[in-house]
Amino acid sequence: MINEGRITREFVEHGRVEDCPVIDTHAHYGPFQAIYFPRHRPERVIDTMDRCGVRWMLISGHQALVDTERGNAEIARLVADYPDRFRGWWVISPNYPDRIPAELEAFEATPGFLGFKLHPSQQGVSLTADAYTPAYEYANARGLPILSHTWSGAGLCSYREVAAVADKYPQIRFLMGHAGYGDWLDSAKVARDHEHVYLELTAAYSVRGALEIMCEHAGSRKITFGTDHPWFDPHYGIGCILSAYMTDEDRRNILYRNAQTLFGLPLEVAG
Amino acid sequence: MELWDCNCCYGLPKKPPVAPAETIADLLREIDRAGIARALVRGASQWEQSPEVANLLVSEDCASDERLIPSWAILPPQTGELGTVEEFLAAMRKAGVRALWAYPEKHRYVLNATTMGGLLEEASDRGIPLFIDRREVPGSGLYALADSVLRDFPRLRLCICAHGSWGEDRYFRPLMERYPNFRVGTSRYELDGGIEDICRSYGPERLLLGTNFPETPMGGPILTLLHAAISDADRELIAGGNLRRILEEVRL
Repeated sequence: MINEGRITREFVEHGRVEDCPVIDTHAHYGPFQAIYFPRHRPERVIDTMDRCGVRWMLISGHQALVDTERGNAEIARLVADYPDRFRGWWVISPNYPDRIPAELEAFEATPGFLGFKLHPSQQGVSLTADAYTPAYEYANARGLPILSHTWSGAGLCSYREVAAVADKYPQIRFLMGHAGYGDWLDSAKVARDHEHVYLELTAAYSVRGALEIMCEHAGSRKITFGTDHPWFDPHYGIGCILSAYMTDEDRRNILYRNAQTLFGLPLEVAG
Repeated sequence: MELWDCNCCYGLPKKPPVAPAETIADLLREIDRAGIARALVRGASQWEQSPEVANLLVSEDCASDERLIPSWAILPPQTGELGTVEEFLAAMRKAGVRALWAYPEKHRYVLNATTMGGLLEEASDRGIPLFIDRREVPGSGLYALADSVLRDFPRLRLCICAHGSWGEDRYFRPLMERYPNFRVGTSRYELDGGIEDICRSYGPERLLLGTNFPETPMGGPILTLLHAAISDADRELIAGGNLRRILEEVRL
């Protein structure tokens, strides 16, 4: 790995590569119940971003996964404070469906958010449940992106549920968070067969061989980088990508090009 | 700076990882690619089959390259499969083995003073490190086990490897605080700022670079360590200095 290609050598030597910025499409903010974070406050997050060459982080609030009203407002403040480093994912909770119309109005009125974040596993509601319908219809009408936690297993958020939603809502740009962890080949096929479905790499990069399956069956243009920060040091995920058997062009696609194209983020790439 | 990997593996377990490393040559190829100088090696056969056979196989396979350091699995001396404690230590001496792994769940024994007292006493006296894969016992159980073992054998050099991506600092920091010989492998220590925090609170001696290969790519833990916000001296200890010293200090 260490001697394979300029991008790898420069990440090893400098920790960042000027002409290969990183866009983290799956990050969080704030403390969380079941894990200790040394680096979850904004100034430390930005320090990490600079150290690793992460130009943008697309974040949702840990608090928003429990209390959408307070948590999404917290992210709105953060994005307003750091408009050139963060964009937000607006969390929708299917467990409080009566609140979703008001949440959609608040989303529309709040700058700095790209689309919606769903966590069917944590909230215990399948991606195909009716509770999500207003959010899906809203996003589909506007061509918004949705980032959802996706994971192997029956009935909640596997590649099967993603395919069902993607078939019904072709205008939603759907990011499969964790790339459907565990069902590598089937998830890659869903991304291959749906132009608007993408594989997001958080945690998936740590499974040796999974990235190669994704590249072979979905192509590196369908993969985005993410870290769940502050859970994971971006260098860990970047190092895994450097270890994977792929070209530097694939690495550029994954680390920034695809996200730049998907979200239209301003990005100056040196050289 | 030399990279010493405290936790890599080869061989085919019953349920293979996505990209297995079937042979020692497969492991060596990735060691070359990642720039690893020395690797403490275990084989899947050691937990999937009996260490009675597999320990010697790992030693034979590691003899093919001086960068590979074999490690052995332990079993209760009472059943005699690996001989008495004295015979087992003599076999280690003959094979040049300086590190041990315990698989109490897979091999179905209780890792405590009643079962392993004689061996763990010798390991403590001789500085032989004992490694345990975090996945041996789910939840908090493994750390309760480590606490129990270290309470009885506080001089034992015990290292937990391959904890999952969910941070486990709330489990293992109390053990670091209480037991100076307790260590953690970094293969899945992905927490942003974690390495810096451990160095500041407990010292760099408590961490050993590990890759968890072939389940995990080698590049993740390596790049994380290379650019952690710690001193170069601390980095060198975690990267290889700690493991080298531990192995050098073993008295067989």
